[in-house]
Amino acid sequence: MSAFENTKCECGHQNPTGTVLCENCGYPLDPEEESSEAPLEMRYDGIARRSQKANPNPIDRVWNFFSSVKVAVRLIVITLIAAMIGTIFTQENAFISFDPTTYYEGKYGWIGKWYYKLGFSNTYESWWFIGLLVMIGTSLVICSLDRVLPLYRALNKQQIRKHEQFLVRQKTVYTGEIEGPEDVWTDNMAKQLKRKHYKVHMEGGALLAEKNRFSRWGPYVNHIGLIIFLLAVLLRTLPGWSIDNYVTVAEGDTVKVPETKYYVKNEKFTIDYYTDAELPKELKGTARAKLYETQAILYTCAADCDDPSKEPKLTEVKRHNIIVNDPLSYNGIKAYQFGFDDTPKLKAVNPVLIDKKTGKSYGPFKLDMRNPQLNFELGPYSLELRQSYMDFALNSDGKPTTKSREPNAPAFVFLLKGPGLSDKGEPYMYFPKQNDKARFSQDVINGELAERFELKVPAMEGVEFTPVETSLNIRYDRAMPYIWVGAGISMFGLLLGSYWQHRRIWLRLDNGRVTLGAHTNKNNYGMRAEVTSALRGIGIVVEPKSLDNGRNKS
Amino acid sequence: MKSNRRLIQVLIFLGVIVLGGYAIGNSLFADGGGLPRKGSKPPAFALLDADGKTHRLEDYKGKALVINFWGSFCPGCVTETPDLEAQYKKHGDKPFEIVGINLSEDRLTINNFIKQYGVSYTILQDNNRQVESAYGLKSYPTTFFVKPDGTIMDVFIGPMGEQDMDERITKLLAS
Repeated sequence: MSAFENTKCECGHQNPTGTVLCENCGYPLDPEEESSEAPLEMRYDGIARRSQKANPNPIDRVWNFFSSVKVAVRLIVITLIAAMIGTIFTQENAFISFDPTTYYEGKYGWIGKWYYKLGFSNTYESWWFIGLLVMIGTSLVICSLDRVLPLYRALNKQQIRKHEQFLVRQKTVYTGEIEGPEDVWTDNMAKQLKRKHYKVHMEGGALLAEKNRFSRWGPYVNHIGLIIFLLAVLLRTLPGWSIDNYVTVAEGDTVKVPETKYYVKNEKFTIDYYTDAELPKELKGTARAKLYETQAILYTCAADCDDPSKEPKLTEVKRHNIIVNDPLSYNGIKAYQFGFDDTPKLKAVNPVLIDKKTGKSYGPFKLDMRNPQLNFELGPYSLELRQSYMDFALNSDGKPTTKSREPNAPAFVFLLKGPGLSDKGEPYMYFPKQNDKARFSQDVINGELAERFELKVPAMEGVEFTPVETSLNIRYDRAMPYIWVGAGISMFGLLLGSYWQHRRIWLRLDNGRVTLGAHTNKNNYGMRAEVTSALRGIGIVVEPKSLDNGRNKS
Repeated sequence: MKSNRRLIQVLIFLGVIVLGGYAIGNSLFADGGGLPRKGSKPPAFALLDADGKTHRLEDYKGKALVINFWGSFCPGCVTETPDLEAQYKKHGDKPFEIVGINLSEDRLTINNFIKQYGVSYTILQDNNRQVESAYGLKSYPTTFFVKPDGTIMDVFIGPMGEQDMDERITKLLAS
């Protein structure tokens, strides 16, 4: 920018720095525009954006950066590309538990490795993606403010009499001699334009007709909607505004939903597979689920909710059979069918104690894998549970330990008391699973006692497995109404800007000669047709094409 | 008019910094795997001890608190237990507590463990992994050092050596 820029128009109006067309008479001030003959650049009516200043300070510079539409378009393109890349592989948040460091490389090879390394495995929650959205949001606010206020002012106080240059360099232009007195001619023209719903302003041999100015506000209304939308998305990150977690509920169990006061019960879980007859040839023999259904009940807790020493008092609020895409829904909280686990896990065994010498058996008694009963009376004998291991193993010191908390290889140590045994009792180790019994040599561990007694499940009925577990995805989103409002406003703005066009016609009469220029923000063809029709109304017949300034194609 | 314009500019930038900073900060710190952050307050819990008595996090307000998640199936948890016990005895006269939250094992296992290692600090039993998941645990043991004002001073993932423990507890007691 030159050190000194003359912003004073020949009509005498002092314009702000950066003005393209004089705010008053429309004469092109920009030297490049002035020397050209092409149609004028009518964007924002040639006004200076409010950020265009002679001596910008640092704040102005940041402001200028965000006020640039070019920058906004680049930000949007980068964001779109990133969002597209984010759809290539499954995102991390789609898994409940997995190891992303090995998953992507293991499944997709080197592409997966770099996908993870570059952070695309968590695109939409990454700081840089959020950063891009924040920048777009900033740009939305600043771009809009920078243009809407000066534009509003410019359109609000329009000069009726424009410079001739301004008129002949519109895209729709008519010039010609008129017949009869000037004021009669303009009155007739005004009548014609009014019939076409124009608002007409006249001032000493000049006329301005305008309609649908409101459509100019469409983009800004649209931006307000988008900003509300973005703010609503931001609201979701506030604690308590959105919940997205998973509960696993075994059939018959009631489980607390984390972060809420709700409990959910799985009354019954059903899974049906397609029969081979129903499947196409290439899928025969594979297990294809036809129906997953959780018969669920949602409860709220009325009392004793937060005291583990008491059972919570639950009140049923909703009952629903959840299937895929048909969640249980109550007060904004939704429970979706997410998955299930039907691998059999040992829940309890019902063994009997056999006295090998007499062949007599005592029992059975129920031995739960989790929280088992500690004392059992079996005829003359008693068993006292001393130690349990869920996943039996020997540690580095050769001592018994458990590898995990899942009953993969359960083992129990009892103290057996009764006739013919020492008063203090004798330890007996019991592996309920047959293969563990052999693997860890139960009989060797029990030594001499193994020759006299045996704990044994007499039949398959004595083994109980945990019921099928269903996994439900619990979601809650308080920001949803705001997101809809934002989307609605944005759509309304889009309608305003798309289905109506802001049209203006200026004309001036100088010594029996009329100069007419017309401008629309879109659809120049329609604009020319409208001007032709108005001219025909006062007896001037011209071809719409002949009004075309000739230097544009639209 | 001119100062008005400057005010609007500054207000908009402030808004962007606050809201944008919050949004970006949120996404930055969410990457920590869901573990409560240093300086934040740990999630509340209400759990039973071996005698069936309820213990809540708020019961420990005003005391330096060590929350240690452990399980008998986790060798690292087992090896650090005697050191924790030693620390507990050493600072018994101060407003200092250790709470060992068991990773949803059964009562018998917990009681045997308490007896075997002579644990005198509070041992609580989690159920169905609820507290564990509220704390966002991914590996065991994990230990939280909570200052008397109820904020987390430090989080230690993995088994602690005697020195790791001593340093942190000394710092915790000084806070």
